[in-house]
Amino acid sequence: MRADAVRGHLDGLLLAVLEPGPLHGYAIITAVQRRSGGALELRTGTIYPALNRLERLGLLRSSWQNEGERRKRCYELTEAGKASLADERGAWREFTAAIGAVLDPRAARGEVT
Amino acid sequence: MNRTDPVADYGAELSSALRGPRRLKARMATDITDGFADTLAAHFAKGTSRADAVRAALREFGTPAEIARSCQRELTIAQARHTAGTLVVTVPLMIAGWRLVHSSANAHPWTLPFAVYPLIVAGGLATLLALLTLAATSRPSGEHPLTPLLPSVMAWTGTIASVAMILAATLLFLAAPLAANWPVIVVATVAAVAFHGLVAASARGCRDCAKLAALTA
Repeated sequence: MRADAVRGHLDGLLLAVLEPGPLHGYAIITAVQRRSGGALELRTGTIYPALNRLERLGLLRSSWQNEGERRKRCYELTEAGKASLADERGAWREFTAAIGAVLDPRAARGEVT
Repeated sequence: MNRTDPVADYGAELSSALRGPRRLKARMATDITDGFADTLAAHFAKGTSRADAVRAALREFGTPAEIARSCQRELTIAQARHTAGTLVVTVPLMIAGWRLVHSSANAHPWTLPFAVYPLIVAGGLATLLALLTLAATSRPSGEHPLTPLLPSVMAWTGTIASVAMILAATLLFLAAPLAANWPVIVVATVAAVAFHGLVAASARGCRDCAKLAALTA
């Protein structure tokens, strides 16, 4: 999947992989890649400004944590972030249902193809 | 890129390309370089040769120039927020200082030049714009549509405010020898010069970031 198609959904993807608990930047990258089965084409370094933006908007908070001999910045969802994730999920379901009903009406009606 | 230490080279190249508030810039550079180090380590762990691992990590993670471009918007907004925060703190203190000068000179009301009052109105407007900028750039419901304009607005608001502050300092300095309350005026003048320095430096950074963000948009 191309990077420009992913970009509009990046916030939702980042919030979703942080839902189970705090992660540092590279762990977030690998979680997104693992969940997508490696289908998302994305310059992985570009998630960092997105993480900073989500933190500025109050959807994430971050802190430095020691991991072995290295200090890593760990990100976690705030209450506003959890609410935003729920909104993103709702909007995504509505979007896919509407587009799916047009592109693939038989599948949308639950008929086996 | 120097092949001796690709991670250190990556960090140095990224740091030199970023423009914005020093603390956030350092934090982003450290965090991103750490991510690049992990990406590189993952390629080394696959048994890839050093040169191939560096190439693959750069392709997957992004070069310092690519990542700097994607960071600049956020750093520019952070610089606008820094300027807004500086204005929100310094302008009310300036106005409070002028008020103090005025009240300490009740016996000689002419000691406070009338020209200071338009500056107070301008300061109030600058503070209002700064508060709106801070509010518009921290909404959990998402970014305000006017957010891309705010760095330029703050850059020029800060520039005008810093000029007003040095103008006020000059007026106060000229008034001091004539006034009985000259010690208060001298303190207000020193404060005005210090605030001018803070606001002017932040506004200059904001102008640089706004220009860079416009070029990389």
